[in-house]
Amino acid sequence: MSSIKDFSGYAPTWCPGCGDWGIGIAIKSALVQLGLTPSGIGVVFGIGCSGNMNDFLNAYAIHGLHGRAIPTAIGYKLANHKIPIIVVTGDGDCYGEGGNHFLHACRGNHDITVIVHDNRVYGLTTGQVAPTAMKGALSKSTPYGLIETPFNPLALALTQGATFIAQSFAGDAPHMISMIKRAVAHKGFSLVNILQPCVTFNKINGYQYYRERVYKLTDNKIDDKDETMRIIREVEKEKYPLGIIYQNQQSSYHEQLPQLMNNSLIKRKRFSDFKLLEKDFI
Amino acid sequence: MKTEIEYFQNNLFMKFTWMIGGEAGFGIMTTGVLMAKIASRLGYSVFDYVEYPSLIRGGHNAYKLTLSDEKTHCLQEKSDILICLNEETWKLHQTQLKDDAVVIFDSKNFIPQSTKLFRMLSLPMGKILKELSGQAVMKNTIALGASCALLGVNFQDIDSLLLGQFEKKGKEVVEYNRQFAKRGYDYVKDNFNGLSQPILTENKNQKQLLVTGNEAFALGAVIGDCRFYAAYPMTPSSSVLTTLADWQKKTQMVVRHSEDEIAVVSSALGASFAGARSAVGTSGGGFALMVESISFSGIAEIPLVVFLSQRPGPATGMPTWTEQGDLLFAVNAGHGEFPKIVLTPGDVEEMISLTAKAFNLADIYQLPVIILSDMYLSESHNTIKQSILNKIKNQYQINRGKTINFVDDEKYLRYQISNDGISPRLIPGFKEHYYQSNSYEHLQDGHTTENGDERINQVKKRAAKINTYFKNDFSAPLIYDDLDKAKTVLVGWGSVKGILLEAQKQISDCAVIHFNHIYPLDKEKVIKLFNENKRYVLIENNSTGQFRKLLQTETGVELKEKVLRYDGRPLTVQCITEKINKHES
Repeated sequence: MSSIKDFSGYAPTWCPGCGDWGIGIAIKSALVQLGLTPSGIGVVFGIGCSGNMNDFLNAYAIHGLHGRAIPTAIGYKLANHKIPIIVVTGDGDCYGEGGNHFLHACRGNHDITVIVHDNRVYGLTTGQVAPTAMKGALSKSTPYGLIETPFNPLALALTQGATFIAQSFAGDAPHMISMIKRAVAHKGFSLVNILQPCVTFNKINGYQYYRERVYKLTDNKIDDKDETMRIIREVEKEKYPLGIIYQNQQSSYHEQLPQLMNNSLIKRKRFSDFKLLEKDFI
Repeated sequence: MKTEIEYFQNNLFMKFTWMIGGEAGFGIMTTGVLMAKIASRLGYSVFDYVEYPSLIRGGHNAYKLTLSDEKTHCLQEKSDILICLNEETWKLHQTQLKDDAVVIFDSKNFIPQSTKLFRMLSLPMGKILKELSGQAVMKNTIALGASCALLGVNFQDIDSLLLGQFEKKGKEVVEYNRQFAKRGYDYVKDNFNGLSQPILTENKNQKQLLVTGNEAFALGAVIGDCRFYAAYPMTPSSSVLTTLADWQKKTQMVVRHSEDEIAVVSSALGASFAGARSAVGTSGGGFALMVESISFSGIAEIPLVVFLSQRPGPATGMPTWTEQGDLLFAVNAGHGEFPKIVLTPGDVEEMISLTAKAFNLADIYQLPVIILSDMYLSESHNTIKQSILNKIKNQYQINRGKTINFVDDEKYLRYQISNDGISPRLIPGFKEHYYQSNSYEHLQDGHTTENGDERINQVKKRAAKINTYFKNDFSAPLIYDDLDKAKTVLVGWGSVKGILLEAQKQISDCAVIHFNHIYPLDKEKVIKLFNENKRYVLIENNSTGQFRKLLQTETGVELKEKVLRYDGRPLTVQCITEKINKHES
């Protein structure tokens, strides 16, 4: 049995009160409760305050490039599909810089769990607007107010074929733990979007803001796309559903590759029957 | 005026060049490759080149092949047979014919006018098509049959090739193709038997394979135990993706066409981190998108093989033409300072062996290794003896350097300081351990650091790999012929090799220096090849002489004379000899 301590690396450097503290604890708790160990999981971190968890969470991990955590994780999974692969990323990393990868990962139903710290700002670069920021948001890069409407990750995930979509709130640790456990256990692409207050740079979407506007889903039909879309569109009215929004069991990407049926890519024998290839050239 | 018989006797056909042209989208390339395969199966050495526009239909396609009973390294300038499927072909290529060339055309379509003594052969392709109710694309097959009749090929050889080529599509397709080839073949036998000569008779050479540079990379990757290949289609690299994808069920490689080149390289790095030998393939524009990840591979020390097949840039440039314009881009790719290795194979044989080697180098030195090709090498077919391929295959030993599957020590440091610059790389999964590969500067254990001393230690450690590479794996440029006795020395890299070797035969006291381990360059081993009393001429397929700059920066050697070509076409023997002789006279 592993413990929280086994997963704990360096002491976090997040700001006091930052939602990331809660997310960090929730991830470790979920992994412990799932019976996993640091040597038995793969984690790919993006760049940002969320990605800085690389030094605080023990795993066979990659701290890669901004926006590229998802495709890196996909390669990791395809080479060693026997272990769970988790992506720890933020809204800027995943929905801005890496937006294209996000939607294609949904399409591919790659069996990875993407945990997004959605604080609606770029914290590490001192508070510019993120793709999920609200229209009109004032920041150093939008001194006259953000013109764009907010990116809706849940709607995008649903329409692009993700098979597990959940939302949680950094102020509710037991809920996050439950969502992360369900997401990691899910076979296929799973998204956990976590509404996360940035106490330093986002003065609008803080703990109080969310506590007044989140609600827990009960009895929603998690495999009904129409109902799910109706729930997802609640965010346009600043109502934020928490829970499993959508889940549907379908074969994941690696399960559809015959070459991965028996062994993982790294464990299989070396190919040597060149006669099979040579006839194309004669 | 020579009689036909004298013509054939005098030439003995040590070398023969066949060309076919027509509208794009009508199977010119497929037919060309069938012709090349016939020659290859009969034991002749073949080199081909295809000219085509960046279009699927419309525009002009031309395919040319030179065959020889000796090893042929590049195309001959002038053709012995020209097949004009349309008038455009005649207009564009009539200047590239030998004096006694045979021109095949359809007089119902157009009649070539010339003051030269070409031998004109009107082949009623339109009429045959009509009689057999064939599609326009079958004109090629008629012309193929006619060509084979002219060259003395037994129809049986065409038959067995068509069977091999089309049997997957069913007996009817084989038979359908066969009847057009037979009609073309018989027409020449019946009407122009006097022109027919036994050129393509069975040669006693060993069994050969006909491969392009891209296919050679694919073979090298399989030999090198590449298990993960990702790419986004981009001319002229795309056929690596399609070849490896086609082989997946046999090789068990995972081959993935990702959403963009950034996903391509990121997924390859993820797979490589996990322990699978991984590669990506692209051309200049796609490589530009991968560059940040090249830098990541450098600092995180994740092995990666990159196949970069150049085409003329900048930006979209001339997608289906050739250039060596990305050498300095490849050498300098990636922000920050970190070592990488760039290899520039000169032909399909080197492509196979250096690609396989690249996978060892990437593992041993834990860095990005770039294989530079270009459209000319990537898409041209060349024959390679099966015995040579077998030798490469059998001699290849997988060397993963300091890659380990377990650790004895309590403490494992992913980025441990070492004199040779290389730290042990633990494949993820070993129990009781864990570590991170970090794109931030890091401590020996992988954790992020901004400490100045630790930074210097890691920079020095990574840089030390270069000397280890010079000691163990760098290969000095290959010298062809006697450098000591040579007065003129042709210097080149990559795909120009074959052209240099052919040009050399036409220049007195000439040696060739060809670089295929192009970066980094071991000054000590390179500098002694250059001596002030000789005439060195740099030959490059670009406009600025990029290798000249690289050679000067890395070794201080300065090359004064150069032959550069940058119109999108490959260099030719003539380009080189003209320059050398002009200077001499």
